[in-house]
Amino acid sequence: MPSYDLKLVKAFDYQRPAIDRGYANQTLYLDLSSLNIAAKPVTRPMKDVFIGGKGFDLWLLWNAVKPSTRWNDPENAVCIACGPLGGTPAYPGSGKSIAATLSPLTGTVIDSNVGGYFGPYLKFSGFDAVEIQGKSDQGVVAYVDGIDQTVQIFTATGLPEDAYQLSEVLTAHFAQGKPRNISVVSAGPGAKNTFFGCLNFSWYDPKRQRARYKQAGRGGVGTVFADKGLKALVARWDAGVSIETNQPADRERLKRVAKLHSKEIAELDPKQNEMARIGTTHLVTIMNDHDLLPTHNFRFGSHREAPNLGQAVFRRLFDPGYDGCWMGCTVACSHGVRDFTPLTGPYRGRKVFVDGPEYETIAGCGSLLGIFDPHTVIELNFYCDAYGLDTISVGTATAFAMECFELGLITPAHTGGLELCFGNRAAALEIVHEMARGEGFGKLVGQGVRRMKSIFTKEFGADPAVMADIGMESKGLEFSEYMTKESLAQQGGYGLALKGPQHDEAWLIFLDMVHNFMPTFEQKAEALHWFPMFRTWFSLCGLCKLPWNDIIPEDNQSTPEPAKVMKHVQWYAEYFSSVTGRESAPDDLIRMSEAVYNFQRIFNLRMGFGRREHDALPYRAVGPVTELEYESRAERYDKQLTDTQRLDITGKPTAEKIALLRKFREQQYETLKDAVYLRRGWTAEGIPTLATVNRLGIDFPEVVALLKASGVTA
Amino acid sequence: MIRVTGKQHPWRAGMTVADLLRERDDAHDCPVVRINDHYVSRPNFETTSVPDDADVFFIPMIAGG
Repeated sequence: MPSYDLKLVKAFDYQRPAIDRGYANQTLYLDLSSLNIAAKPVTRPMKDVFIGGKGFDLWLLWNAVKPSTRWNDPENAVCIACGPLGGTPAYPGSGKSIAATLSPLTGTVIDSNVGGYFGPYLKFSGFDAVEIQGKSDQGVVAYVDGIDQTVQIFTATGLPEDAYQLSEVLTAHFAQGKPRNISVVSAGPGAKNTFFGCLNFSWYDPKRQRARYKQAGRGGVGTVFADKGLKALVARWDAGVSIETNQPADRERLKRVAKLHSKEIAELDPKQNEMARIGTTHLVTIMNDHDLLPTHNFRFGSHREAPNLGQAVFRRLFDPGYDGCWMGCTVACSHGVRDFTPLTGPYRGRKVFVDGPEYETIAGCGSLLGIFDPHTVIELNFYCDAYGLDTISVGTATAFAMECFELGLITPAHTGGLELCFGNRAAALEIVHEMARGEGFGKLVGQGVRRMKSIFTKEFGADPAVMADIGMESKGLEFSEYMTKESLAQQGGYGLALKGPQHDEAWLIFLDMVHNFMPTFEQKAEALHWFPMFRTWFSLCGLCKLPWNDIIPEDNQSTPEPAKVMKHVQWYAEYFSSVTGRESAPDDLIRMSEAVYNFQRIFNLRMGFGRREHDALPYRAVGPVTELEYESRAERYDKQLTDTQRLDITGKPTAEKIALLRKFREQQYETLKDAVYLRRGWTAEGIPTLATVNRLGIDFPEVVALLKASGVTA
Repeated sequence: MIRVTGKQHPWRAGMTVADLLRERDDAHDCPVVRINDHYVSRPNFETTSVPDDADVFFIPMIAGG
């Protein structure tokens, strides 16, 4: 007998629409306060302007909230969408869901692109997106059954708290003997007790006979989900998905282009990054070799022990086998560790399967904390997922607390006795367990870097100026795990990103720093226009970006613009055209993204953000804060002062050189902002102009009124 | 003899990654190579030897992350 109870409290039967050219043409609305369930139509203009995926999320969210809405208000919505291309099994990387909400960390829109089967199953069940408002005080499970054409809400008692067990139980409960038909979205106790809770999206692995997980990590979407009293969101659909399921406009054309890309990846991945074997772990030593792997709260970019966390180790630790987070993907990079035995916490001494780690988790929960033991990283990865915590924010927030501890800004009296120094593996694990329990110093770390800075200042008397420089957040979101000190373009990639410093908008470090492809401000600005736009397009369509530029054609370097991998961009245009019937060229894809991107910037403005002042960076992202950092790379920094700035630094103390360098680099970043704003069609304040919104077709009356009220006149 | 992206290439004792790249016209601006299962980055090209019978691949690190 199960120890849990699911009691049906509301059912909504519906007639499943036929999928037409990648769209279900309706969205699902759930209000957990009133238990209202409804289907809303998707209009032609909605598809034309917002395309799908993140675009639909933003439009639904825009209409759901007011400028005064806060993350934990009932009207804040969690929106999850697929996209018109999502769910195509033949084309690599085509199973993504995009989750969006008002973030508890930033106060404005956050979006997260995640694998697993939920998004495609939701769409094939008849809904391009789900929008969840309201709050339940009882704890509910929402269930979308596309096979039986019903949406149900259950009150739930006795369900496990952690995401691993919960998904396992709910998969078995709803599967009717076919677990591959089920995808579960859930948070966990850490999501409830911190501001950076993630969502776990499951996919069933028939070979290993278990639910596997991918995470919508950034910005606390799991925290909002948990705050709504939603324990899980479950979709059921027939796993016999084919290229026909999306009812593409031109099936033969789709088959042709899908085969080209899929075959190329199968041939070239083994010769290139081996993602089907080692995921993204190859990045660890490469970043370390180029002084780009963050260690010790972004003080440094390399460490002699970093190879302990590299691909050579994970090549041995990952369980071999097919690890595609969507059906038929030939990148198949979602690897995991079998029979791992945690040393701490509720799973101590029990064998578990760990989904991951990927590069970001290795860097965030490893090198950033001064931890170079792969087993500790795996254990942190496991508990973050089980508790519903974003490994990036956990890492970056804990690293900040560790540096504050080492600097004496906080003491054991504040940490509950934890010696929170870099490299303390037991302390790092304990912080994560405390986050899940909502107690101790871990609860405070779980509020994120921005709030920690405020609390440490007000309650512990810590120096706010020091913390402003070393607290690695922008817009309230913790940095993801790349060093940006020597790449002005990547400083822009982080600082100008709409949701905060996450690398999915622009990852320009190698192009800028290693290849020096963009020496001028105008070239950097062009890159900070094109790359965020193209990367945005993947989230509009329900796609993963990895097939685009992580496995590239052998003749790519001889093309006019190798960084853009235009052969693949052309294939994506073919892909979009063949599914939707909307004939599109590469420039059209950029134009689609531009509309949604600018709309999101304006959404930020509406929520009280989205201006030049909000594109600020902590100085550690720009240059060396401490004498230790400067002197560790003194030759590099001295050279910049003498060769670039033509300064005579003879006899100058390090502190003075740091100040000179800072003045120069901060000015460079401001100049970059000017160039990027101009390229994007924004004012000097970083607001889209009226001409820009008019050109992009997002000149809705409410948008125009907002821009005018914000001082935009042309 | 070694294999570079699957094709035979002459090997000599003491050959470094930097030497190999100088002999090739298809390495372009490659910042990373893989020798068997071992990744080598540009800062280490001059000091890393290529062993005989190795499989060498040029890793196109362009705009990942």
